[in-house]
Amino acid sequence: MKWSNVQLIYLREVRDQLRDRRTLFTIAILPIFLYPLLGMIFLQVSQFSREYPALIHVVGKDHLPQMPPLLDGERFFSELFDDPQGSELLVVQNFPDHESLDGSRLRQKAEQSVRDGHCDAVLIVPNTFGAQLNEFRSQLADATTDNTATPKEVHKVVGPHILFDQARDESRIARDRLARVLRQWREQVGQDYMVQSDIPVAAIRPFEPQLTDVAPESKKRAALWSKMLPFVVLIWALTGAFYPAIDLCAGEKERGTLETLLCSPAQRHEIVWGKLLTIMTFSMVTALLNLASMGLTASLMMQQLQAFQLALSDLPMGMPPLISLGWLILALIPVSALFSALSLALAALARSAKEGQYYLMPMLLVTMPLMILPSLPSIQLELGTSLIPVTGLMLLLRALMESDYAIAALYFLPVLGVTAACCLLAMRWAVDQFNNESVLFRESERFDLRAWLWHLIRDRQDTPTVGQAIFCAIAILMLRFLVGFQISLPENWISLATLTVLTQFAFFALPAGLMALVLTRKPRETLLLRWPRWSSLPAAVLLAVLLHPSAIALSVFIQQTYPLPEQIEHISRNLIGGAPNLLTLLLVIAVVPAICEELAFRGFILSGLRHLGHRWWAIMLSSLFFGVAHGIVQQSFSATLIGMIIGYVAVQSGSLLVCILFHVTHNSLAILSQTLLLQYAPHVPGSAWLFELTDAGIVYSWPLVGVSLVMALGVVQWFRMLPHQLYTEERLQKALAHQSARLTS
Amino acid sequence: MDEYPTSTAMGQCIMIQVDHLTKTYADLQLGPIVAVDRISFEAVEGEIFGLLGPNGAGKTTVLRILSTILQPSDGTATVNGYDVLTEPHLVRHQIGFVSTNTAVYDRMTAWELVEYFGRLYGLERDLLRDRMEQLFSRLKMNDIRNLLGSKMSTGMKQKVSIARALVHDPPVLIFDEATAGLDVLVARALLETISELRDQGKCIVFSTHIMREVERLCDRIAIMHRGHILSAGTLEEFIKQHGESDMEELFFRLIQEHDTQRQPVSLVK
Repeated sequence: MKWSNVQLIYLREVRDQLRDRRTLFTIAILPIFLYPLLGMIFLQVSQFSREYPALIHVVGKDHLPQMPPLLDGERFFSELFDDPQGSELLVVQNFPDHESLDGSRLRQKAEQSVRDGHCDAVLIVPNTFGAQLNEFRSQLADATTDNTATPKEVHKVVGPHILFDQARDESRIARDRLARVLRQWREQVGQDYMVQSDIPVAAIRPFEPQLTDVAPESKKRAALWSKMLPFVVLIWALTGAFYPAIDLCAGEKERGTLETLLCSPAQRHEIVWGKLLTIMTFSMVTALLNLASMGLTASLMMQQLQAFQLALSDLPMGMPPLISLGWLILALIPVSALFSALSLALAALARSAKEGQYYLMPMLLVTMPLMILPSLPSIQLELGTSLIPVTGLMLLLRALMESDYAIAALYFLPVLGVTAACCLLAMRWAVDQFNNESVLFRESERFDLRAWLWHLIRDRQDTPTVGQAIFCAIAILMLRFLVGFQISLPENWISLATLTVLTQFAFFALPAGLMALVLTRKPRETLLLRWPRWSSLPAAVLLAVLLHPSAIALSVFIQQTYPLPEQIEHISRNLIGGAPNLLTLLLVIAVVPAICEELAFRGFILSGLRHLGHRWWAIMLSSLFFGVAHGIVQQSFSATLIGMIIGYVAVQSGSLLVCILFHVTHNSLAILSQTLLLQYAPHVPGSAWLFELTDAGIVYSWPLVGVSLVMALGVVQWFRMLPHQLYTEERLQKALAHQSARLTS
Repeated sequence: MDEYPTSTAMGQCIMIQVDHLTKTYADLQLGPIVAVDRISFEAVEGEIFGLLGPNGAGKTTVLRILSTILQPSDGTATVNGYDVLTEPHLVRHQIGFVSTNTAVYDRMTAWELVEYFGRLYGLERDLLRDRMEQLFSRLKMNDIRNLLGSKMSTGMKQKVSIARALVHDPPVLIFDEATAGLDVLVARALLETISELRDQGKCIVFSTHIMREVERLCDRIAIMHRGHILSAGTLEEFIKQHGESDMEELFFRLIQEHDTQRQPVSLVK
């Protein structure tokens, strides 16, 4: 790749965008004017907003005691409010013609009247309220004056009733105001009793809890802004990336200039890099301008609000600390890179600018939950969340803005690694699309579902296409996810065994097998159902055995970070113990899953993905799907890694049998090490050198792990030497790579 | 070594060699469509090779494959010894491609556009400037130097495209329906430019559906129809072989013969 070409393309694209009035408007003009305008509108509208008085209908006003007073004509007694103006906000009226109605009819009518919105709430005072209060008072007086008598049970009084309508905002506000007044009044009633019984009023509240906020002002502001600003910046980085991306790819396709560029000597990845950098520039500039404009407007508005003494004193508004802003701006680089790469890939797929616009919504819908997730208090930066694209980045940013540098440093690499991997994947996709003539010259065809289905079968290839492989993977994941919820946890060994066999077959083997039969001309080749050279069979077993200690070490490490949920722990310990014998156990837990999963992931999915032309991308993607399909976070990590190894073995040996053998051995060893070995370990001579027994089971010693890992690498090297078949696309990519090597030499 | 161009009996270098080139598309309604069916031809330096055929004959597909925008489904094509499938990047350095589909940028001036592509070819600044000055005066483009693409007429745009294709002085030039949409004056000037380029020793592939252009310009002609080359040779060879001196009549006859020989296909499915 020549960087001078990338630079040339970048400069041209930027100049091209800057000459476009529409782009300039959305990127520069809009944010500069948007926020001051919004602020102005907000200030104007806030003048109109005021609190409206709620209308309360009262039934049985006469049953209220005279002292202390609750009502004062059409208002509640103003001393019951902290704010003297508060009484204006509750208008009290007698419930219309309540004298003519009896108990249950009255109640029905009152409920109806709240529901219909004739009033906002109804306060019903029971007939006996006054009398009961009097009785309560005398009981209380007896209990306190007669010191010798044992304290009597004092009957509580049935209080007034508030009818409200939760579905109406006005009614809910009325309920809250009314309840507050009544509580205040109740306290006064209580205080009167205490005065009467010669108990100091202070006895009711012997102490108040004291609250002291120790957070420094800057930290409070950082905490507030660290939740708000990343979200705003992310949204604008996405918007700022998307519109230029559409213009640069779909728009250029539409205007016919893409073909001019494609027959020029600029290589596809130079074009993609140039365009990516352009999109990134605009994404970052948009986000920064919005941030600046919003900050400026907000600080101006704060000043104005403070001048009117309207600002809430306990909200630390004010500018965020500079260091937080610095982190935010620094984090904008990976954020913009990620969104730009994603937008570029989607825009390259679109035939026209109009089609490109259609992709914005799905992209927002997918990325939005990832952006919102970090704002939940239960989501913290840890190994699992750091591996989620966007979410991890936002959590890292938050940690940095709140200056939790220790945590941030710990997860810095995983977060950036995942982000970089996503960027590269999106760019790889974009480059492939610039090479893909069906994407470049896609003509609008009349879509007909029947014709399309017929086309799938009639024009099927020897092995599945990339699209079909990805569809298969997503279908499997969705099936697992949707049906997984319906299945209750097994209670004994029989149900566990049935469930495992059934789900393995239905989720993995069946979809892959069916799709291979229907969608490909050579199902056997697709599913790698051919004999390997015999020596690769023991090699696969050996590799699995050598990797076993490392696998255990990894799973112990993961379980320390994420302990298994108790239910699953329970299954793995108790139900497995219910197996009639070891052979059945191995058959159900090791052999069946190995066969079914291999058919799907190394069979159909990997065979299809290899049409990408890049072996390692195919292996990585298939193992990522394999990992996610395991569902439990604790298994997904190691499954992804193991999946990469099996994927490599599949490509090199070309036979599913080798993969199955590796998989069976791997699973069996995991079980055996926790059952047989656990039993006999203490009797093995020299066991202390090799492994130790812990609560989590067997843990192998570090020298053993190291030595076996090195030997495993040797076996992998042996697999590398095997003669293996390449796909046409892979051969072409090799030839193309050879060409670039010739060019640079 | 097949990497190096072979020569003809007359000692000319074969610049373009197309061998059993096939291109199929998948169509949702009709199934696989063979756009180009096992065609073979070659073109040497200093000659204009004409591809003559009605619309939909597969001319554009062949030329797009030669310019590495499409990949062949089967067969091979080499340009100056480089394979279009496995060495597309090297091929792109050998060709200048002008087609109705290669538009100019709306928001770039003529000068900027040609300079941009010249620099993508890796030309030195000084060399590029000299060559552009020559090109702009030869193609009489000095008056549109600073005109934006969006403000140009079709003829001006075509001139800019040609300047863009010539800026790196490639040995092979490919013109796909280059005169389409041009008025008589501009088209005539374009044809003159092309024959000048031939005289400079370039190998030129020129596709059109207009007989007169072929008669005036081309040294050798291939008549294409429905993805096949029906007949190929020089003008004299055509006349001798088919006993027909009027090119248009000959063209009609060949196409009709081909259509009647073929099984009648129903277009509606």
